[in-house]
Amino acid sequence: MKLTGEAMLRGGVPAVYQALHDPAVLVATIPGCERLERVGPDEYHLVVSAGVGAIRGSYAGQVRLTDTGAPHAFLLSASGTGVPGTVAADVAVRLADGPDGTTTLTYDADADVGGMIGGVGQRMLAGVARRTAQEFFTAVDAVLTGTPAPAAPAAAGGNPDGATPTVYTRASTVAGTNGLPAGFLAGALAGAGIALAGALVGGWLSGRRHGRRGR
Amino acid sequence: MTAARIFGEPIPRREDPRLVSGAGRYTDDIDATALAVAFVRSPSAHASIVDIDVSGALDVPGLHAVYTYEDLTGRLAEPLPLLIPHPALTAPRTAYPLARDVVRHVGEPVVMVVAADRYAAEDACDRIEVTYRALPPVVGLAAAVRAEHAVHADVPDNVAAHLVQEVGDAPAAIAAALYRLRLDLTIERSASMPLEGRGVHARWDEVDRSLRVYSSTQTSTSLRFALAAKLELPVDRVEVVTPDVGGGFGVKIVHPWPEELLVPWAAIRLGRPVTWIEDRREHFVSSAHERGQAHEVEVGFDGEGRILGLSVRFQHDNGAYTPYGIIVPVITSTQLLGPYKPGAYRVEFTSLYTNTVQVTPYRGAGRPQGVFVMERTLDAIADHCGLSRVDVRERNFITPDEMPYDHHMTFQDGRPLVYDSGDYPALLAKLKKLVDWDAFPALREQARARGRRVGIGLACYVEGTGVGPYEGAHVRVETSGAVVVSTGLTTQGQGHETVFAQIAAQELGVSLEDVTVVTGDTRRFAYAVGTFASRAAVMSGNAVALAARKVRGKALRIAADALEADPGDLDISAGVVRVKGSPGAEIPLRTVAVLANPLRYAFDAEAQRATQFAVGGGTDTPPVAEDDEPGLEATDYYSPIRSTFASGMHAAVVETDPDTAEITILRYAVVHDCGTLINPRIVEGQIHGGVAQGVGGALYERIEYDEHGQLVNASFMDFLMPYASEVPHIETDHQQTPSPLNPLGIKGAGEAGVIPVAAALASAIEDAEGLTGTGVRITDMPIGPARLWELRARWADEDSGRDGR
Repeated sequence: MKLTGEAMLRGGVPAVYQALHDPAVLVATIPGCERLERVGPDEYHLVVSAGVGAIRGSYAGQVRLTDTGAPHAFLLSASGTGVPGTVAADVAVRLADGPDGTTTLTYDADADVGGMIGGVGQRMLAGVARRTAQEFFTAVDAVLTGTPAPAAPAAAGGNPDGATPTVYTRASTVAGTNGLPAGFLAGALAGAGIALAGALVGGWLSGRRHGRRGR
Repeated sequence: MTAARIFGEPIPRREDPRLVSGAGRYTDDIDATALAVAFVRSPSAHASIVDIDVSGALDVPGLHAVYTYEDLTGRLAEPLPLLIPHPALTAPRTAYPLARDVVRHVGEPVVMVVAADRYAAEDACDRIEVTYRALPPVVGLAAAVRAEHAVHADVPDNVAAHLVQEVGDAPAAIAAALYRLRLDLTIERSASMPLEGRGVHARWDEVDRSLRVYSSTQTSTSLRFALAAKLELPVDRVEVVTPDVGGGFGVKIVHPWPEELLVPWAAIRLGRPVTWIEDRREHFVSSAHERGQAHEVEVGFDGEGRILGLSVRFQHDNGAYTPYGIIVPVITSTQLLGPYKPGAYRVEFTSLYTNTVQVTPYRGAGRPQGVFVMERTLDAIADHCGLSRVDVRERNFITPDEMPYDHHMTFQDGRPLVYDSGDYPALLAKLKKLVDWDAFPALREQARARGRRVGIGLACYVEGTGVGPYEGAHVRVETSGAVVVSTGLTTQGQGHETVFAQIAAQELGVSLEDVTVVTGDTRRFAYAVGTFASRAAVMSGNAVALAARKVRGKALRIAADALEADPGDLDISAGVVRVKGSPGAEIPLRTVAVLANPLRYAFDAEAQRATQFAVGGGTDTPPVAEDDEPGLEATDYYSPIRSTFASGMHAAVVETDPDTAEITILRYAVVHDCGTLINPRIVEGQIHGGVAQGVGGALYERIEYDEHGQLVNASFMDFLMPYASEVPHIETDHQQTPSPLNPLGIKGAGEAGVIPVAAALASAIEDAEGLTGTGVRITDMPIGPARLWELRARWADEDSGRDGR
C-alpha cells in the first residue's frame, strides 16, 4: 500500500525534526502508544495498546529512524507482528519551511500489510492510516505549541550492554483509538506508523496467528 | 409384487411438513453469528466512478472491512465468466465482481462492506461516498437500436448477438401464399422473484485450508468449480452446500454471482464466517430480469388456415451484461414453433445491450414470448379466414405419425431440434372437453345478452425439457435398511425429495419411508449440472433409477449366494429379498448390505447375525472379488442424446368489465403431457405455480425503467404479483406420451405452467372484447385494466376514423 500526505506543524523545521526524534514526544503523540523503549540511537521498541472489539491488547513493534538529510529529511522504517497481522513500512519524511515559521511535513509511505489487517480492504486501511496520521500530527503540533507536556522518562530498564536504555510511558491524556471498530484498529496502527514518526504503527499491529496469505 | 405401487402415485410431498412448519433451513439460518455483508450499489444507470471515499464509514462500530475493485487480485479481478458462449454472441460482456471504473446499471455492486451485523454494514454503506461522472444511459430497445450512446464503449452498436436460423425459403413461401399478415408483438420485462432472494454463507478452515460455501443456488457443483477457479483453490478444498432454497425460477442458475465469489473471498481474508443475504430491493436491481422482447411477424397461409411460411424478427433486451449467453432468444426462436409445422420458417434476432439489469432465464425462458408470438399469429389467421381457432391449430399440428419430428434447426443445447414423441390432436381434444369449448359460444351469447363480456381463448406449447449433458445419482443401502439417495443437482421446493424417493423405492422394492434423498451437496455428490430447463426429474430421476437398478442387481447376486438360489428366482419387496414360490427363504436387504461389506469385526447385532450367511464362501477366493467393491451401493449417470419434448395446452375463460375494463379469469383449464408421471400431485403443483406466475406476467407484472434507467417499481408495493385471490382455480388433465429417450419415459414439467398463459389470456380477452372480425388485436402484454381501457379508446377512435368495415 502506498500512501502520501502532508501536514502543517506550528514550529520551525529544526524544532519539528527534534520533536519527531524525541521519545518523550513520540510516546505522547503516537495514537495508542503506551510504552516506547529506546534501544539504540534513533531505534525504538514500541508497545501500543490498541484495542476495540475483537482485537484488543498490547502490540509490539520496532522503529528505526535513519538520517537522510537532517533536519529536512529522515526515513522511518518499521516492522512488527501481532495478533491481527504483519506490517512493514518505509516512510520517507520531508520537512520544509512553511509560512509564518511553520513547517510543511510531507510523507511518502510504502507499507506491506499482511494478515487479517491486510484483509480489511485498501481503502479502509488507507482511510484509517490517514486519519491516524492526522491524529498524530495534531498531537505533535500540540506539543510544539506547548499544549500538553511531553512524557517524562520512567524508570530505567536494564540493558545487557549497559547503555542507557530509557523507557517512556505515555500520559493518559492522549486519546488512543478507542471508539474505532475492531478492524480499524489494526488499520489505525498502520496509519500511525506511516505517519510517524513513529509509530510505525504498523509494527504494532501485526500478528502472525493467521500467517500471511498470498490472496 | 406385494409392495404397493409407489411410482406414479399422487403421494404427498415429504418435504412439506418441514417446509411449511418453519423447520426449513435456508442460507440465512446457517450461522447467525457470522459477519454480515452489505453493498454500496450504483445509483446511476451509467456512470464513471471518479472517487470512492470510505472515511465516513470508519467510525461505524462493528465495521470489519471495506472492499472495492482495487482489492481484487488474480482471477477474481477478471470479468465474471461467460457461462454459455455462442458463435452468434459476437460481443459478449460480463461484469466485474465489483465495478471497475464504470457502472452500467442501477444496482451494480461498487463497494462491499463487512461488519459485525447487517445493521452496521448498512450504516457503513450509507457513509461511503462514491463520486460518479454521469454517462448517457441507454434504456429500452429503441434507444439500444438507435445507438446514439453505447452501453459498452467498445460495442458502439449495442449489439451483443445476431442470429438467423432458416428452414426452407420463408420469404418466398410467404410471397407465394394466398394470404399474408403482419403483426408486431411485444412482451414486457418481468423477473423470477423467488420468495427467498439470493444468499451466500462461507467459512474458511485455516488449518485444513478448506472452504465451505452455502449458497441459495440452482447449481452447487458448477458453483464449486467456479469458486475453485476464481479463488485459485484446489477443487477438493472447496465444498458447496445448497440448503433449503425458497424458490429459484431460473435466476439462481446464474453463477458465480459477484456475491458468491466475494463472500467466500472475504471469509478467507478475514478468517471469519461471512454471510450475505439479498434483500428485496437488491433482488430487483442487481439479480436478473427476463421476458422483454419485441417481435415482427410475417406469415403466409392458405384459405384453410395452413401456414406456408413464417418469418419472425425480434429484438431481445439483454440488459447490461450477458453472463448466461443468449439462451433466452435462442429458445424463443426454436420453441416458438410449438406443436406446429409452419412450412418454411425464418427467424432472426438481435440481442441488444441496455443500461438495465442483465437478462437471464426466468421459468419458461423465452418460451412465453415465442408461444405468445405463435399463438397470436394463429388467432390472427383464424380471424382472417373466418375459421375456428381450434381448427386452425389442428390443421397446423405435427401429427403423431410424424414423430419423431425433425425441425431441422438447432436447439438451445446445441443438438438438433427433434421432437421425440407427442400427440397434439389428442391433447387438444382433451382440452376442448375439459373446458367445454364447443358449448362456449352459447354461453358467450347469453352473457352478452345480459350485458356481460366473456371470452374464451387457448394456447398450445411444446417445451424442450431435460437438456443434458448429464446427471448422476448414488444409491446406498445401509446396514439399517435405510436407503440413501444422493444426486448433485439442487432443489428449490419442487418436491425432489419425494419423487426421487419414489423412484428409488420402486426400483429397489423398499418402502418409501426407508428412503432419504440428498440434493445439491458437493460433499455427497460431486458431479452434476444443475436444476433448470425442467430437467431435474428427467435427468436425476433416470440417474436414480439406473443407480438403484445397479444396487438391485448386486443385492440379488449377494442374496442368491446366501440363499443358495438363482438370482433370477429372487424378488425384493418391503425391503426383503425372497425366493419366489419358497416362503421363508428370504433375507432382509439390510442383511445383504452387511454381507456386501465383509467385516472382520462384528460390532453390532446385525453384523453378528449376518455372519451366519457369510459361511459357505470359498477360502480360495478373496472376500471381495476382483471386479467387485464393498458396500451395497452404486453410482450411475444418465446422459441423453438430446432433449425430450413435453407439451400442453391451456384454455382460459375471462370476463372483462364493460365500464372499468377489469379483467377476471372465470375458468382456467390445463391439459399437459410430460410423458410418464412419477407423481401426478407434484406435476399438478408445478402447473399451478407456473400458471400463477403466468397470470402475473400476463396481467400484472412489469419491470418499469424510466428514461434515466431508474427502476421505478422496485418493491412489492409497486411491482404487482398475483395473490391467491388473483390466481384462478386450475382444472387439469394429464396425457402420458412416454419419451422414448429415457428409461423411465418421463419429460419435464417444471416450467410448463407459465409458458402459454399470456397467449391464452390475450386470446380470451380479445374474444370477450368482441374483436373477432374487426382486425383489431391485443399485441402486447401484460395487459391490465388501465391498458385495456386505453386500447378500447384507441379502438373506438380507429373505428370511427375507419368509417366502418
